[in-house]
Amino acid sequence: MARRLTDEIEAVALGPGATEAAPALGGHGARTVHASDDRQFEDHPGAPAAHVVARLLEEHRPNLVLFSTSYASRDVAGRLQALTGSTLMANASAVLGPDHARGEILGGTKIVEVELRGPDPKLVSVRPKAIAAEPSGGTATVAPVRVDLPDELRRLRVVERHQEEAAGPKLEGAKVVIAGGRGLQDPANFAMLDDLARAIGDAAVGASRAAVDAGWVPYSYQIGQTGKTVKPEVYIGVGISGALQHAVGMKQAKRIIAINKDPDAPIFGLADIGVVGDLFEVVPALTEEIRRRKGS
Amino acid sequence: MLVAALAVSVGVFARRTRLLAALVRMGRPVARTDHVATRVRNEAVIVLAQRKLFQRLAPGLMHAFIFWGFLVLFPTIVHAMGALIDPDFALPVIGGTRWFALVVDVFATLVAVGVGLAFFIRKLVRPKRFEGSHLREADFILLAILGIVATLLLWNADRIALGLNEAPAAWSPVANLLSGLFGRGSEATERALVWAHVLIILGFLTYIPHSKHLHIVTAAINVFFGKTGPRGRLEPLRIDLEAPEEEIRFGAATVSDLTWKEVVDLYSCTECGRCQDACPASFTGKALSPKLLIMDLRDHLFEEGPNVLSARAGGEDHESPPLVPTAVTDEVVWDCVTCGACVRECPVSIEHIDHIVDLRRNLVMAESRFPQEAGALLRNLESSSNPWGQPQAQRAAWADGLEVRVLEPGESAPEYLFWVGCAASFDDRARNGARALVRLLNSAGIDFAILGPRELCTGDPARRMGHEYLFQTLAEQNVETLDGAGVRKIVASCPHCFNTLANEYPDYGGRFEVVHHTELLARLVRDGRLAPPRVDGRSVTYHDPCYLGRHNGIYDEPRSLVPSSVEMPRHGERSFCCGAGGARMWMEERVGRQIADVRVEEAADTGADTLAVACPYCMIMLDDGTKSVGKDLDVKDVAQLMAESLE
Repeated sequence: MARRLTDEIEAVALGPGATEAAPALGGHGARTVHASDDRQFEDHPGAPAAHVVARLLEEHRPNLVLFSTSYASRDVAGRLQALTGSTLMANASAVLGPDHARGEILGGTKIVEVELRGPDPKLVSVRPKAIAAEPSGGTATVAPVRVDLPDELRRLRVVERHQEEAAGPKLEGAKVVIAGGRGLQDPANFAMLDDLARAIGDAAVGASRAAVDAGWVPYSYQIGQTGKTVKPEVYIGVGISGALQHAVGMKQAKRIIAINKDPDAPIFGLADIGVVGDLFEVVPALTEEIRRRKGS
Repeated sequence: MLVAALAVSVGVFARRTRLLAALVRMGRPVARTDHVATRVRNEAVIVLAQRKLFQRLAPGLMHAFIFWGFLVLFPTIVHAMGALIDPDFALPVIGGTRWFALVVDVFATLVAVGVGLAFFIRKLVRPKRFEGSHLREADFILLAILGIVATLLLWNADRIALGLNEAPAAWSPVANLLSGLFGRGSEATERALVWAHVLIILGFLTYIPHSKHLHIVTAAINVFFGKTGPRGRLEPLRIDLEAPEEEIRFGAATVSDLTWKEVVDLYSCTECGRCQDACPASFTGKALSPKLLIMDLRDHLFEEGPNVLSARAGGEDHESPPLVPTAVTDEVVWDCVTCGACVRECPVSIEHIDHIVDLRRNLVMAESRFPQEAGALLRNLESSSNPWGQPQAQRAAWADGLEVRVLEPGESAPEYLFWVGCAASFDDRARNGARALVRLLNSAGIDFAILGPRELCTGDPARRMGHEYLFQTLAEQNVETLDGAGVRKIVASCPHCFNTLANEYPDYGGRFEVVHHTELLARLVRDGRLAPPRVDGRSVTYHDPCYLGRHNGIYDEPRSLVPSSVEMPRHGERSFCCGAGGARMWMEERVGRQIADVRVEEAADTGADTLAVACPYCMIMLDDGTKSVGKDLDVKDVAQLMAESLE
């Protein structure tokens, strides 16, 4: 995208793996890649990178700096804004010129074009996947970055990195969604739903707000008005009453199956197949039958 | 020397007052000069009679002693200053009278007792409401007050010992008692005491406008300019599209966007923490404390306001840092349920909700910054005209099988229009309340109809979330529909709709007589058109919805429909929110305990088996709460309980 604005594009890559990334950056339009593999950029978030980039900006005086919307990049963008006193636009969906960008507001219902005022360089962070990367076939020269960090920039230190393992397909993309509610009575019983999901295959487990509020599963499981909206081929609601808050997040499923012991539960009003019964009997039986028919 | 001291003190006071006045003038306009009679009455009740303070007995007495004491003791300041020049100086008319001597003696003593009581509360009782307040500043102020009355009493005592008293000593019993300390008396001590008295007063005068004790001047002003109408009405945001772009403001972005009333609010806070005590967000461990909100805005005002003023004086533009997050964090702004408990509790008429909504308006309309999950609410309101994004065509489906007339375009309205609201139209639990109400209205022979698919969300959640533009769009459409059908009387079952229709639609040309269903039902029972309610075999506790009770003062009618209900500790004006107001219904409650859970436990602790509500939001939140805390409480609308007794 930057290439549509100018030919003079330089990239900055900091932290372990930076030099390795240079050819890819060159292949997408960067002429020079300012790179440093210094570990300090990884160990001390934000301040060191902002310090170094600020110096590069002094030296090279670009009109515009683009940032990806990763956490690290956003951190640096904010700090640079404070260091340089220039204008930062966050989450742009397109960059129209050196001082024009486009963004979405009000949850994506309104698109606005923004003029960036103030001194150069303008700072713009671009929202993920807004712009497709187009290969240019070029190559870049690597300019090693001098790393001279005052001690006070190293005060913030990464103590631990933790990545949450996401098992199975994601809720939004799954063909089958199995959602658990308060009827499960205990967080441990979500294992029953995981088991059913494994038996089915392309299935993900979600939850009602009640189950999330109770702390049984993380918020990322929540389906409904204030959680995720799912549109699977089949939705299976287990021990879920189907309150409006939840229903608005799943009613667009092609087929809705409800398992609940309360025949008056509103979810039966939405369901294509309703099973009135004890979920602790129905779910294991269903899992077993699916396994038997699949012959596994 | 007196002249010099007086000049310094008055000079410092005047300089600070000029700044304070300039900051008020910097504030945006807001209309607060109507209803003068009500304002005078508020002044009498809230300020002079200390009504809000007396809601808590010990702190109420403490404050009243000091407050009334100082009102009465004003002439003694003049007396003491006069006595500095001429030891025989006497006040005209009252000077030397027995009754004045008695009044001075008694009230000076009461002030001292008040200070003692204040120290007792602060040092020994140590209520939680003072958490986050400036405690040392308060101690200093109390000591200064004590110093003023102590020197006054001792001065009078010494004068009695010297035989200089103008009225018989018996009329100043406390000073007379103290005069024993001075033996025959000493003229040097008498001079020292009157000097000390005057110097403490003058010192205090310079200190007051620099401290939270400023409230002794501003509280009375703030009360006078407080809201006079229903508390639930928000000030409309007038969006002037003709104005130059950079002057268009959506709510409060920086300090210069506060209204002048909001500035006086900030001057008036004494950090007493009554608001913090009453706030459901504070109570359940969230970031918001209404007291700290006001204190943080105040500190920011004094830091940043002078910069704005000096830049303006120089004809320059000054770019102030944003109020959020410089003074107040995003989290604080979104924690508020707009229940109004803080506003009602505040003895000096600070209107916290206005501050919150102005901050939200800027965040939502100018910056598009709000809790991510609330985006669905705004999108649904825009695309489907209801918060849940349900098809409007299904809006009357709740009434299937009941006798309900849907008003078609072109038809004119019967006596009542039943405003159903989105919750009762689409949520299964809330629908039961609406269905019960219909049965009751039919049984009483009320001629009514609903708008069905033509009824849109009133815009309440959008407005409380700060999206004034979306609210105004919905309001204008609804007013047009209602006017087109010739609607004059509306019965609403949702207090949020009720509040918006009754108190806010008049600002958009909608003038209707709006009643809440509990008011109408109570009237029908009184007129003999409905059987008096029986709640056989149930033990009921009634939960006051914020937007029916505190915001609109309707407490008795719903109670008259649930006879023999047991009260929760927090009820009536002091009811505790269910957690859904202020568009919180459509946001996640991630920090601390769930407000609804706390309320359900309070209800269950009364021993009741039924929790009666009069609001579909409360119904949804509290019913969820019973499941989440595992309490076996039947949550029912008052109308449902009445309809049961029909059968």
